[in-house]
Amino acid sequence: MTQHLSEHDVRGIAEYTRIGLDDEEVKQMTVDLNAIIDSLAPITEYDLEGVEPTFHPIGDLSNVMREDVERAGFTQDVALENAPKQQDGCFLIPSILGEGGDR
Amino acid sequence: MASSQTFGSMSVRAIQAGLAAGEFSAAEVARGTFERIGAADARVHAFLETTEAAALEAAARVDAALAAGRDLSELGPLAGVPVGYKDNMNLLGTHTTCSSRMLESYVSPYTATCVARTLEAGALPVGKLNMDEFAFGSSTETSAFGPTRNPWDLDRVPGGSSGGSAAAVAAGLVPVTLGSDTGGSIRQPGSFCGIVAVKPTYGVVSRYGVVAFGSSLDQVGPFARTVEDAALTLNAISGRDELDCTSQEVAVDFTANLAEGVRGMRIGVVPAFMDAAGLTSEVRDKVAEAAAKLEELGAELVEVELPNAQAAMSAYYVLGPCEAFSNLARFDSVRYGYCDPGHKDLGGQYEASRANGFGPEARRRIMLGSYLLSAGVYDKYYYPAQQVRTLITQDYARAFEQIDCILAPVAPRTAFRFGEIADPTEMYLSDMFTISINIAGNGGMSMPIGLGAETGMPVGAQLVAPAFRDKNMLRVAAALEAVYGPAPVAPDFADGKAGE
Repeated sequence: MTQHLSEHDVRGIAEYTRIGLDDEEVKQMTVDLNAIIDSLAPITEYDLEGVEPTFHPIGDLSNVMREDVERAGFTQDVALENAPKQQDGCFLIPSILGEGGDR
Repeated sequence: MASSQTFGSMSVRAIQAGLAAGEFSAAEVARGTFERIGAADARVHAFLETTEAAALEAAARVDAALAAGRDLSELGPLAGVPVGYKDNMNLLGTHTTCSSRMLESYVSPYTATCVARTLEAGALPVGKLNMDEFAFGSSTETSAFGPTRNPWDLDRVPGGSSGGSAAAVAAGLVPVTLGSDTGGSIRQPGSFCGIVAVKPTYGVVSRYGVVAFGSSLDQVGPFARTVEDAALTLNAISGRDELDCTSQEVAVDFTANLAEGVRGMRIGVVPAFMDAAGLTSEVRDKVAEAAAKLEELGAELVEVELPNAQAAMSAYYVLGPCEAFSNLARFDSVRYGYCDPGHKDLGGQYEASRANGFGPEARRRIMLGSYLLSAGVYDKYYYPAQQVRTLITQDYARAFEQIDCILAPVAPRTAFRFGEIADPTEMYLSDMFTISINIAGNGGMSMPIGLGAETGMPVGAQLVAPAFRDKNMLRVAAALEAVYGPAPVAPDFADGKAGE
C-alpha cells in the first residue's frame, strides 16, 4: 500500500479540521485514510484531457432574486435555544483574548 | 374494523378507504400505530423518537374535517396516513440527531420542506427514524444510539444509511417513511428490507431542512409497501421550493401511468453490472429473472454500456467526503450541538467537542475531505472526479437516447450480518451499483422481487430513469409489482406479530 499520508500529515489535518485525536487514534486514522486514498486510484488513471468538470447535476442554475419583502425569521430566543452556553442574549464561548486565550 | 396492529401494513389507499367509510377514525389510526410501534419496535429499533401529540393533533384535524362533511380527497393525498421521517429531517419541536452524539440534544426550531409538505398533505407524523451517523454508512451500525435490526432476520443489518426508515415499513410499523440518498442510502436499505424505495431525480424534492451530507448528491424520497403509495408520497413532497434553489418545478402526477404496463418500453440492461465481480449469484439470478418477466410482459430488453460507471465509486469517495467536510464544518460547539465541558480555551473546546461529538466514520470522512481539497491534492483527485462526473452523466444521457429505463441490481448482495463487514473500504462496495446514479443525478429506485435462493433474504431490482422522467421507473416498478406482489411485511412481524 502506498503511504499517501504520514502520521505527521494526519496530525496536521486533525488540527485543521479541529478534531482532537490522541496518539492511538492518529495511528489508526493514518492506516484508514491511506487505505481509502489507495482505493481512489482509478480517478487518477483516467485520460481526462479536454473534459469539462461538472460541479453540480443541475448545470444551468442562475441567481434568483425575490422582491424585498419583510418576513419573520428566527427570534433571538429561538436562535439561542440550542446554544450549549449563552449569556445576555449572546452565544457564550471561552475567552479568546488575554490570559488562557486561544493557542 | 381493522385491528390496531395492522395500520402499518395497510396501503395508503386502504387506510383512506377505511377512513372514508367510517370504519375507523384518524385518531384510531394514530393510536393504533403507536401501540404497534410500542409492541414491536423494541426488537427492531427503527424509531429514535415518537411524536404522539403531533400525530393526534393532525388526526383530530382530519377527523373534524370528515365530521364536517368534507371529502377525504380534499384533505390531501396523505390525509390520515402515518408517516415517519429519517432523523436528519427537521420537524419543529423534535430532536433531529442524525444519530450522532453531536446533535443528541438538538431540538428543531423549524420544519424541513419535505416534512412540511407531508403535513400539508394530511399525514400523521409518527416520529424520527434511526440512520447511520450523518448518513455515513450502509448498515445503520454507525448510529450513536445503537443499530436498527432487519425485520427479516434480526441478526442482519437493515442496510443504510436510511435503515430505520426501511425497517419501520418492513416490520409493518408504519406504511410510509421518508429517507435520503447520497450514494444509495434509500435504495440499498429498500433492497435489504424488501420494500419499495425511491430516490427521485436530483432536484425533484427540496433539501431545505434536511441536514446536509453531500449537497450536490443528496436527495429525499419515500419508502412504501406499494408503488402507488410511493408515487402518492412523491406527489405530496415534490416540486419547487424557494428555500432550495436546486429544487425544480415538477408538476407531474407520479401515479398517472402506473397501470400502463411495460409493453413497448425499451429497458436497458448493463452487461458490466450483471457480470460485476462481487455480485452474488442469488442477486444476479433474481435480477435476471425480473428482466425475463418484463420481457414476457412485452418490454424490449436492450443491452447498454455505461463505460465510465466503473469510475463512479472512486469519484464518489472523493466528492462525498469533500462536500461532507465542508458541510460538517458548521458544528462548532457554540451555536448548537455537542459542547465538551470544562475548556478554558476555544480551540481546545472545538477540538474536544468535534472529537467526542463525531463518531469514527464521520471523523474519517471529514479528514479525508479536508485532505482531498488541500492544495496540490485538489488537482489530483477533486478536479478529475468532477470531470469523471461529466463522463458518467454523458454515459447515462447517451444510454437513455435508446431506452426508457435501466434494470440493474441495487446491491451486490442481500443483507449482511452485524459486524460481518468491518473494513470501511469493503463497506463502501455496498453502493457499487447505486453511486453512479447520484453522480449523474438521475432517479433510481429499489423494487422488491422476492427472496435470494441462498440467504432467503429480500432482493431488490434497481430501476433507473432518465433525469426528471421518474415516471418511467415507477411504471416499470408497477409492472414488477403485478408479478411479485406488493412488499410484504417481514414474516416474523406479519399479522401483528412483534418479532418474537
